[in-house]
Amino acid sequence: MATFHEISPNASAGAKTLNWIDNRFPLSKLFKEHMSEYYAPKNFNIWYIFGSLSLLVLVIQIVTGIFLVMHYKPDAALAFGSVEYIMRDVPWGWLIRYMHSTGASAFFVVVYLHMFRGLMYGSYRKPRELIWLFGCGIFLALMAEAFMGYLLPWGQMSYWGAQVIVNLFSAIPFIGPDLALLIRGDFVVGDATLNRFFSFHVIAVPLVLLGLVVAHIIALHEIGSNNPDGIEIKATKDANGIPLDGIPFHPYYSVHDVFAVSMFLFVFSAIVFFAPEMGGYFLEYNNFIPANPFQTPLHIAPVWYFTPFYTLLRAVTSEMMYVLIGCVLVGAVLAVAKIKMPSLFKAVIAGGALVVVAMMLAIDAKFWGVVAMGGGVVILFFLPWLDNSPVKSIRYRPTWHKVLYGAFVINFFIIGYLGTQPVSVIAGRISQFGTLFYFGFFLLMPWWSRLGTFKQVPSRVNFTAH
Amino acid sequence: MSETLAASGPIDPSKRTWLIASGCAGAVGGIAAAVPFVSSFQPSERAKAAGAAVEADISALQPGEKMTVEWRGKPVWIVRRTPEQLAALPQHNDQLADPLSQRKPTEQAPEYARKDEARSIKPEYLVVVGICTHLGCSPSDKFKTGPQPSLPDDWAGGFFCPCHGSTFDLAGRVFKNKPAPDNLEVPPHMYLSDTKLLIGDDKKA
Amino acid sequence: MKIMGFTQKIILGVAMTLGLAGAVQAAAVGAAWDKAPNRINDMGALQSGAKVFVNYCLNCHSAAFMRYTRLTDIGLTTDQIKDNLLVTNSKIGDTMKAAIDPTQAKAWFGVNPPDLTVIARSRAGAGGTGADYLYSYMRGFYRDDTKPTGWNNHVFPNVAMPHVLWELQSSMSPGEYDQTIGDLVNYLQWMAEPAQTTRKNIGIWVLIFLAGLIFLTWQLNKAYWKDIK
Repeated sequence: MATFHEISPNASAGAKTLNWIDNRFPLSKLFKEHMSEYYAPKNFNIWYIFGSLSLLVLVIQIVTGIFLVMHYKPDAALAFGSVEYIMRDVPWGWLIRYMHSTGASAFFVVVYLHMFRGLMYGSYRKPRELIWLFGCGIFLALMAEAFMGYLLPWGQMSYWGAQVIVNLFSAIPFIGPDLALLIRGDFVVGDATLNRFFSFHVIAVPLVLLGLVVAHIIALHEIGSNNPDGIEIKATKDANGIPLDGIPFHPYYSVHDVFAVSMFLFVFSAIVFFAPEMGGYFLEYNNFIPANPFQTPLHIAPVWYFTPFYTLLRAVTSEMMYVLIGCVLVGAVLAVAKIKMPSLFKAVIAGGALVVVAMMLAIDAKFWGVVAMGGGVVILFFLPWLDNSPVKSIRYRPTWHKVLYGAFVINFFIIGYLGTQPVSVIAGRISQFGTLFYFGFFLLMPWWSRLGTFKQVPSRVNFTAH
Repeated sequence: MSETLAASGPIDPSKRTWLIASGCAGAVGGIAAAVPFVSSFQPSERAKAAGAAVEADISALQPGEKMTVEWRGKPVWIVRRTPEQLAALPQHNDQLADPLSQRKPTEQAPEYARKDEARSIKPEYLVVVGICTHLGCSPSDKFKTGPQPSLPDDWAGGFFCPCHGSTFDLAGRVFKNKPAPDNLEVPPHMYLSDTKLLIGDDKKA
Repeated sequence: MKIMGFTQKIILGVAMTLGLAGAVQAAAVGAAWDKAPNRINDMGALQSGAKVFVNYCLNCHSAAFMRYTRLTDIGLTTDQIKDNLLVTNSKIGDTMKAAIDPTQAKAWFGVNPPDLTVIARSRAGAGGTGADYLYSYMRGFYRDDTKPTGWNNHVFPNVAMPHVLWELQSSMSPGEYDQTIGDLVNYLQWMAEPAQTTRKNIGIWVLIFLAGLIFLTWQLNKAYWKDIK
């Protein structure tokens, strides 16, 4: 309980006001804890701007969203027209719409880069696992938010994309069809679906997102930030208890982030004003046709940011099931033979593997495709426990680790690209290899992350003055 | 890293310069960014189209009759006054709050409706918005002259608002000591021909 | 520095993948569409296109999100719009509705003629812009007596739409017809997004301002970070 602090009557009006507030609300205390006396490592590089940029894009989406909702009509008969009303009849409506549509894609660009930074520098490692878990929760919520938001314009892509994805839920054994009916609120995607997706997109998920973002930042500030060298700066402190390699977030990183924001806004504005459609990737061409439940477009693809996970879904064909069954069996055998664990665990693994294989033989590949797609996101939650490397940051890992990470990135782009394309034999094969690589990278990480000659991690960060 | 002002030495001019410069630029940018959002509150093209001027055909209107047209969601009354009704208008000026339409000159009536007691371009035709200037109810017609319930004994015809009892004469002028403060509003209007009125616009095209 | 090398390697790998994807994309294109002439800033061309649209297309196709008043953006006065371009029974504040009844149209053609407000944005694809598609489509009709309308189309085989402009085409030289279709498609391109010219004009100023802001915040950043050793 803070003591009540009396201030001199000669103090300035500003100081008196601040004192009045501080006696009742921890304003100055919060500012010190989280800004002016929050010591962040001084060696942050460009990969460290994406957290603040994510926060900026969240604010952009909320503000533009508020103004769009003033004119949008969440009714299947009126929705498409209301978007064109915003584009044409509402003063500056076109700008607010383009900011929101560009912002949606920008959100994923920024978040993917933000996650990749975590991957590279081991930011998810102990004691930062919870920050990572909240972050994965944010990613999941973001995907839900984007998916539901995309139905709202009620174009052909909106409608059929939603129809396909909701139908995926019906692949779940026993409860699937009823679950899909419950989600849709009708036998096909329709007005009922639109209204509930509107409610979730505008109110429910944004509140969840905000809560998770706050938790994410609080968890981060509790431990302190990681850095490109993966060194814990709190290990070396000066006489005052301040990390030697730490600098106060404010003013150094507030000013640094303001610079990053101005550069981001330049790229963002260039797109909003000169290429809002982005070749059909940000605003898909088919979505300029009002939804028609009787006519499916020739080529449905999810929006670009979902395509890698869509590829994981499509890669699981009945043929692929045999490969996957093989993987499960080999995995179980290796786990039992190589890992030291109590006999009970070994029995559970062996038994579990047999049950899984039986299920894989009994249930359609369609369902396992859904599992693969979901698994592609869920596996990220486990990353802190999959990484067995003795060093955090990629800088001190063997060179071939770096090659592996590079290959992961390239693979992610490849499966992303393939998700935009129609099915073909070659594309299917490449997708299957890509899927195996994606999951192999994570599932085999406990093993490969330990291999190789690691470099000596310094005790102080690498920093050159600039 | 000690950040107290005393220990940091003399004020760094370069930091201050760039802080002020980027602060100003940021403020300008922020205001510029706010303009489109605030402007989006203005009536849209659809609202403006719906609020466009309305034509009224007065060829069938008989003396002593009233017709109503809708403009911007409001009732606009067109009353064709008889010569007797017109003659009676100046006679009860002392019972009115604003007989010569001098209050709120720019708000309640255009200047062509403020020039005399008739409050209209053509004396015969009264054009007023049928909404009481008190709290927005629509007054009822009371064209019959003489004593009636809630009306004075020398009633010369006009309108009576049922909500709080305000009364208006056949030029839409409000009587004294009533809740309504102002005369009925005269909308901008013009004659396209002897039989066509345009309500909502008075610009010569 | 090794670390910079790694990031650079990733960027290079990504760029190569995207480049490869682009090459594959280009190779997979179907029949190429003719390039529509771009006269989006030519008020005269837009006005002729508007006239063709109102006279020929609005009979069956609506442009339900396009308000007549917006035509003032292409240099027409409200009187000119009222005199030349307003369909009967429409007021200048109305949106462009088709003359035909949609149920009857569906009975006659088998499908309700689609709304054309944003057609130029919806038809874009690997072959080119939506305007390119429409330009090729409108010039791709040919006589085909096996079809109920007597017409077929190279770009949209078995289309239900008849060649509405056939009389116009036979009364003009091929060059003149191409010009007319160019104007019509140009108008459709404009109508699909009337704000496009404003958008680009404002965009230039925004980018100039932001370039300035980048400079200022860069200097601000430098001024603080010179303290950090």
